[in-house]
Amino acid sequence: MGIIASHVGKEFGEPSVRVLTDISLEIKDGEFVSLAGRSGAGKSTLLYILSSLDNATEGQIEISGKDITKMPDEELYRFRNQQMGFVFQFHYLIAELTAIQNVLMPARKYNEEIKRQARAEMLLDQFGLLNKKDRYPRQLSGGEQQRLAIARSLIMEPKYLFADEPTGALDTVNAETVMNILRDCSVKDGMTVLMVTHDPDFAAMAPRQIRLADGEIVFDNQNPAALKPEVKKT
Amino acid sequence: MIFLAIRYLMERKRQTILTLLGVFFGTMAYVSVSGFFMGFQGFMVQQLVNNAPQIHIEARQDYLFSHTLDESFFGKEAIALWVSPPAGVEGYMEVQSPQSWYKRLDADSRVEAYSPTLSTAALFTSGKISVAANMIGCHPEQHSKVTTIADYMIVGKFTDIGVGGNRLIMGDELMKRLGLGMNQTVMVSVGTNRAVPFKVVGRFYSGSRGLDLQSFASLDDVQRVNQTPKQINEIGVRIKDYTEATAFARSWSKLAPERVESWADQNVNILSVFAIQNALKISMVLTVLIVAGFGIYNILNMTVTQKRQDIAILRALGYDTFDVVMLFFSQGLIVGVVGAFFGLIAGYLFCLWLQTIPFMNASPSNPQGHLHIAITVSIYIQGLALALLSASIASILPARAAGKMTPIDIIRQGG
Ligand SMILES: Nc1ncnc2c1ncn2[C@@H]1O[C@H](COP(=O)(O)OP(=O)(O)O)[C@@H](O)[C@H]1O
Ligand SMILES: [Mg+2]
Repeated sequence: MGIIASHVGKEFGEPSVRVLTDISLEIKDGEFVSLAGRSGAGKSTLLYILSSLDNATEGQIEISGKDITKMPDEELYRFRNQQMGFVFQFHYLIAELTAIQNVLMPARKYNEEIKRQARAEMLLDQFGLLNKKDRYPRQLSGGEQQRLAIARSLIMEPKYLFADEPTGALDTVNAETVMNILRDCSVKDGMTVLMVTHDPDFAAMAPRQIRLADGEIVFDNQNPAALKPEVKKT
Repeated sequence: MIFLAIRYLMERKRQTILTLLGVFFGTMAYVSVSGFFMGFQGFMVQQLVNNAPQIHIEARQDYLFSHTLDESFFGKEAIALWVSPPAGVEGYMEVQSPQSWYKRLDADSRVEAYSPTLSTAALFTSGKISVAANMIGCHPEQHSKVTTIADYMIVGKFTDIGVGGNRLIMGDELMKRLGLGMNQTVMVSVGTNRAVPFKVVGRFYSGSRGLDLQSFASLDDVQRVNQTPKQINEIGVRIKDYTEATAFARSWSKLAPERVESWADQNVNILSVFAIQNALKISMVLTVLIVAGFGIYNILNMTVTQKRQDIAILRALGYDTFDVVMLFFSQGLIVGVVGAFFGLIAGYLFCLWLQTIPFMNASPSNPQGHLHIAITVSIYIQGLALALLSASIASILPARAAGKMTPIDIIRQGG
């Protein structure tokens, strides 16, 4: 189970530019994985492909035993809604909705907003936002906004959490809070967490650390065998 | 998605209200302009179908054209060049077989009433004044079932002309021109026949000058004065559904030599004015609705661009293309529904007000003398349908564009 990528590659545009080359990777259920590397290494691209937001040019991705590259749209959207949480560098909160309405937005897709109300309040409480649940995003600080976005990603109790530079726009204190939340997701709640970061300290907080360079995996502390021979030499 | 759509609309109140106003005025204009024209046309049609018989069965008189007679003189193939081409009228002065018409009309359950008449041009002389006017001979009971003439009587009853005895009912205008009073005698002569005295026993006023210059007498009297006993030259028919008149006229005209025409045939010019009015109405209303539609289109397009990030995150949260399309489509539709709702109400109130405006002197054929405004359900349903149609068309393009946006491109650009 977990996430299994085999021989995934990605090219962009015309004339085509190769961004990912032959990535094979297995992430087990409950693992906390950090994906590091320089800017432009292909970290975000890999994260989006593994999480079904983007399509691979070649290769296969299985999540929970299902090939998401061949999944019908209807099923894929339901899977995303119920099994995957997303956190990005920017919060993408909806300005017209209050904090709690934002958190409940994923639940609305299948009319579960009432059923999930208690969980929404629990998450807001856990992230210190309960007394601000009726505020609008613009009335919150940057750190609060990002915690709200994480609360939204957790409302459906997903199995997988994908985070692309979740601390990228935060100061150190807020960044550490966010990192602790992500670690708790894995350690306490048993979620599978894949986090992209270019901060070496934060990358080191994850038990499993993968490093990308020029679209290839150059380091994986749990699976040294996965490395390419020529990459190993350098 | 309505939940979010409503919040979007509430958040930019000014733009929402502006687009609402577009739809509002569009529907209001539709309702009031339609009501105005339909009311006017309905009033006119009522006048046309009530003041005169709905179907006229008349003795046929065709003009001769220069080649009408070629075939009967020279056979089919010949081309005749006339030195002095034939001219004049062909046909009959009278209805050929009134009895068979009566049978036909009696047998038809769709016929409400009919009235055989003989009309003739007569010279009315009172003292030194002579006025030429139409004199119509009819059976008063039958005739008053076919036209509204009896309603226009201001002195006497229409039935006072009876079945004979040289009694006459005159239009108000004709009486004025002759300087006649009630119960006075007027000399009536037709053609070269000797003048016959008639007594004026009634007077009517319709407000329509053409009608008010006519006079009515019993059929027998007119036949005698005209020296054409037993002849009639027209049968006026009233049917139960006046909109079928033209179809009736077509089918009846095949049965006998008479010319059969409906009220619509005889008033093609008026009906063509209606057609122009309707074209005018449609183009005006379309203009307003297109403007309203463009308002919705522009604002939605702008919103879609502004809300790219929301679209991206919704897709990442598991919302599909249809949800995103509906998010924007429903905004346009809400504006359409709300704008149309208030537009219909305002249009209705405006129509009520228009109805109180006096537009001509009250007369028996237009007793209130006010503008006639149609307030019928069909106008309101059409107004609603048009508003929703233009709102839908205006929303579907931006909504589809939003549905096509892929979340990943937006997120990669950092919003
Ligand atoms: N839509 C795109 N079209 C072309 N090139 C792209 C596109 N998206 C990303 N890239 C390129 O792919 C490479 C990897 O990008 P990305 O995955 O965002 O890197 P990282 O997240 O590691 O900084 C970069 O060189 C970038 O320029
Ligand atoms: Mg990146």
